[in-house]
Amino acid sequence: MTKPFHLAWFNSFAPPAWASPFAGDAGNEWFTGEYHVDIIKQMERAGFDFIMFEDSTFVPETYGGSSEIALKYSQHAPKLDPMALLPILARETSHIGLVATASTSFYPPFILARLMATLDHLTKGRVGWNVVTSSEDIAAQNYGMDKLPDHDVRYEVAEEFVDVVKQLWDSWEPGAVVMDRETGRYADHTKVHPIHHRGKHFAVRGPLNMPPGPQGHPVLCQAGGSPAGRDFAAKNATAIIATNPVISKMKEYREDIRARAEKFGRDPDDIKVLFQVSPVVAETSEGAKKAHHQRFGALSHAQIEQTLAGISSTTEIDFSQFDLDAPFPQDLKTNGHQSILDDFMKRNKGKTLRESIEERSQFGPPIFGTPAECADRMEEIVEEVGGDGFLIMSPSTRRYIDEICSGLAPELQRRGLVRTSYPQPTFKQNLLGH
Amino acid sequence: MSADPFHLAWFAADGFGVKSWGKTFSGRGGQDWADPALWIDLAQALERARFDFIIIEDSSYMPDTYGGTSEAYLKTATATPKMDPSVLAPLMSHATKKIGIVPTMSVSEHHPYGLARTINTLDHMSQGRTGWNIVTGSNDNAAKNYGLDDWLEHDERYDMADEFFDLACRLWTSWEEDAVVLDEATGTWGDFTKVHTVDFQGTYFSSRGPLNAPQSPQGLPTFVQAGGSPRGKKFDARAANAIISGVEGGPAKMKAFRDDIRAQAALAGRSPDDVKVLYLISPIIAETDEEAWAKRRRQTEFAEAHPEIGLLHLSRHSRIDFSQWDLDEVIPEGTTTNGHRQQLEQCIGKTPRQILREGFGQGNFEIVGSPDTVAAQLDEAMEEVGGDGFLIASRDLNRRYISEIADGLVPALQRRGVVREEYSHDTFRDNLLAF
Repeated sequence: MTKPFHLAWFNSFAPPAWASPFAGDAGNEWFTGEYHVDIIKQMERAGFDFIMFEDSTFVPETYGGSSEIALKYSQHAPKLDPMALLPILARETSHIGLVATASTSFYPPFILARLMATLDHLTKGRVGWNVVTSSEDIAAQNYGMDKLPDHDVRYEVAEEFVDVVKQLWDSWEPGAVVMDRETGRYADHTKVHPIHHRGKHFAVRGPLNMPPGPQGHPVLCQAGGSPAGRDFAAKNATAIIATNPVISKMKEYREDIRARAEKFGRDPDDIKVLFQVSPVVAETSEGAKKAHHQRFGALSHAQIEQTLAGISSTTEIDFSQFDLDAPFPQDLKTNGHQSILDDFMKRNKGKTLRESIEERSQFGPPIFGTPAECADRMEEIVEEVGGDGFLIMSPSTRRYIDEICSGLAPELQRRGLVRTSYPQPTFKQNLLGH
Repeated sequence: MSADPFHLAWFAADGFGVKSWGKTFSGRGGQDWADPALWIDLAQALERARFDFIIIEDSSYMPDTYGGTSEAYLKTATATPKMDPSVLAPLMSHATKKIGIVPTMSVSEHHPYGLARTINTLDHMSQGRTGWNIVTGSNDNAAKNYGLDDWLEHDERYDMADEFFDLACRLWTSWEEDAVVLDEATGTWGDFTKVHTVDFQGTYFSSRGPLNAPQSPQGLPTFVQAGGSPRGKKFDARAANAIISGVEGGPAKMKAFRDDIRAQAALAGRSPDDVKVLYLISPIIAETDEEAWAKRRRQTEFAEAHPEIGLLHLSRHSRIDFSQWDLDEVIPEGTTTNGHRQQLEQCIGKTPRQILREGFGQGNFEIVGSPDTVAAQLDEAMEEVGGDGFLIASRDLNRRYISEIADGLVPALQRRGVVREEYSHDTFRDNLLAF
């Protein structure tokens, strides 16, 4: 019997699939957050642990040296600030976790600590922070820097950043708020402490000017692939998001993270590794197979362009310069996501670029079929990998979300593989089951 | 004769923190301070009363100026705790349709790109009802939370604010209005030829741009500011759409302040009517004048029994420890600060007791009475001042006070025809500049 696993949804505060035949008016209405209110209610009904909003803060110009393709397909831009969306989503739901991405390269730690603590109050203990270090110099230039520090230095900064933020969350002892009507005493100043942090990258006096929220420390989420990133994730994260289409590699990755966590003195079960998948669900097997082929097989010119533009902005290498039918280049270097690039080169040795992007256009192992068939496949994958669940990622329409939330998820719930209730008061406790 | 129609707005003093607690009509204000429900109620009540906007004040440090310790601040929940208003604002706009919501954000703490992005998002989400209360930071404890020993010197902070403002405006307009084309036939979402880098290189900030989101409904958010010093006024005259002003000295001084701002705005090439000067007041309202004055007496007695509460704010704003003087000792000439200058200057030559009795910021302009009495007072004051309206502030914020204003005072003002009965536009700035 496969043990139950977790579901989460990977999202952006960005235009949904506006040109899809089932887009409705999403192209215009997404700005207000109402679209996201609708979809998160579906996800909560379907037993999702959380919705995660990835984020970035630039308009890509790597592909072809201009923003033309990125803006044509609304790819990586525009994105609105997910922090402002979270309170609305919290107001309209009761249990599901809400994760926003924020970069340790661009926020002052005091602002981020305060923002997350405020959101933890506003969500009543349901907020998470997806920690990213950012990898694009073009984003750094928006924030007044010429370029980002080197990859490993960014992780060093991130370590100190997370340390400072945790100190700020701990700067009010439990019981600091006394609220004594008799003496008129609201809080006890002997339980509120400056942190006086003076490190290599940050100096922060503290204390935080507010008590921490119900979770104390919000859930930390991370997506480290490189050795430095994996160590960071194993040390700090409660949820890890990972991308790999090969099941044996998924297993290897999860085991590596768990081993590293143990090395840092953590219980490996306190880290949930969630793998990106893009299930294609239909009423019949045939229909699903066809839909899957349409989405990921024989790519159209537009799909190829979008995929290459996406890779270009993540790796900061202009893929428009390569011949689609020549062998995949093997000597690429970036100060961006080097681990993604290395993995990408290694996996595609001997293939042409065109062949490689067919695989790249989907983020995890192929899953398609009727709800029962997809559930079978997901069950098998978790059985082989060992845990801990999936992060659904797909162009967003209400119809697709409904296929997952009213088709696939109920099937998984019937099998006892996905939660039907949220027994604990906070996101972190629900995720960890204690 | 009545004043020309004027504007009403709300100044949520002490920000997203503990409001009224432990008093007769505080409700569960102490326990539920982190629940946004009171704020949503405030926004809905004031929209019912056709207010222009609500400012959520903010600061991001633990004050300890008074007596050199945070004890009294924490004991009385004064100026702390405070949570981040940028994530309270969307909840207030989500629950309303017309009223403007104005979070406070400091140019000394944020990078222009991050701030421009947050405000742009809020303006999209509120469909054109977001403002930005521009502050430059005054207390050095805040600077120390951001890796600095102190902020820049007072006037230079405004030089930096000027540059911040220019850069942020460039980012907000880095997408032309028609950059989003949504052309299904060609599969084109946006037209890259209408999205431009800003390539800004200043003394304090640089940014490449463009912003990674399209122009919001207002394009530029509505700007609110409270600079009372000469340098602050100069900034206001070029940037602000609404100015937060004290009423020290009564209508004559209020008029002089407004005339000065309008003249400076004209010099800066703006129409003076595009800058609204709003005066902070905390009316004390009851069913009859007599009851209102009885309430006023109870408040004075409480303030006299707890003098430190009034001095806590004064200390943190001015960065001068007011616990160093006896309550009857005159604050000496020559006391200076790198904090709020205007406030300190108004204290010199007075004793702390005197300052407290005058009710700081309220000066000799006392607004006490039944709704009709107060409405008449405000009408008369506006007639003398010439415009542009009032900002209601209460540190002891509870639902009872909100209702006294929204359901008592405002209908009385509406009966006199001096405040709006309906919003005439959809966006915040359009409503603010409509009269």
